[in-house]
Amino acid sequence: MKHSQLKEIIKKKASKIEFAIVTNLENGLSEIYEPGKSLSKEFEIHKEQIDNFFKLKKNGVIENTEIFIETYIRPIKVIIVGAVHIAQYLVDFAKSLNFEISIIDPRGYFASEQRFPDMKIINKWPDEAFKEIETNENSALIALTHDPKIDDPALQHALNKKFYYIGALGSKKTHENRCQRLKEAGFNSDQINSIHGPIGIKLGGRSAPEIALSIIAQLVSETYKK
Amino acid sequence: MKNSFDEKILEEANDWLNANQKVVLATVIQTWGSSPRQVGSRMIVNETGDFSGSVSGGCVESAVVRECIGLIKDNKPCKKIEFKVSNESAWEVGLACGGEIAVYLEQIN
Repeated sequence: MKHSQLKEIIKKKASKIEFAIVTNLENGLSEIYEPGKSLSKEFEIHKEQIDNFFKLKKNGVIENTEIFIETYIRPIKVIIVGAVHIAQYLVDFAKSLNFEISIIDPRGYFASEQRFPDMKIINKWPDEAFKEIETNENSALIALTHDPKIDDPALQHALNKKFYYIGALGSKKTHENRCQRLKEAGFNSDQINSIHGPIGIKLGGRSAPEIALSIIAQLVSETYKK
Repeated sequence: MKNSFDEKILEEANDWLNANQKVVLATVIQTWGSSPRQVGSRMIVNETGDFSGSVSGGCVESAVVRECIGLIKDNKPCKKIEFKVSNESAWEVGLACGGEIAVYLEQIN
């Protein structure tokens, strides 16, 4: 592989474009492929199989050939509501797990750059903030403010958009009240029960990094269930 | 569902190249049976044998490093190597888990 091609791959990864690297294992030739675009003659005959690998989000060698495909898909979007202490540790974990994080917090004193260096925080109320983030059933929500004014609109958005993971911080009692409010807002019990509340797997820890770990563990586990 | 877990090995390869090191990229291209790392797992090796990333759980990395240094010395562009179940005489370069993997080595230049 040429160094220039490696640089192009890194650029594409950073801009979250979906693409594949196609390599001929016999002669070492390789090429970057974006779905819908054309390939060089060398690889064009394998286009159908390459697209198939894409569909299955799979890496591997095309059967009976020496052509290796590695697909790059977009990372899962995780929206954190509440730029609180736990969120600082979640950001650290999420980096090594390659989740794409957005943080929403309308409270300016929480959403400061000093608390979250290199992190874009949307300093708006959830209803406004979600206009800036494209979300779907491959998105996840972690609600951390346990303030109904901030968490509830975000939870409603996540339920409407069928996020695959929705978790909300708060005690059992807080969660019961939350469920009651969502019921009154017209959500059915299946929807309400899909919310992980109290959030996280039971680790027993109480500190912010421990809670962050329990949330991220639950998020990863739910990612592979679907 | 799948997330695109990414160990940033390619980014590190770029850093090494920018520091004028020679770099071989090793990628798991096929696995059979129970193997520790999935297809697409990567490691990089430079001419002095420094390496980063992994293609197994530590079972075959030393052999991969040797092969990569060989590739640089012979100035060959690429090579495919396979690793099978370990036996006692060659415990160092086998997969104790009983799996098999194929690894593709390529020089970046």
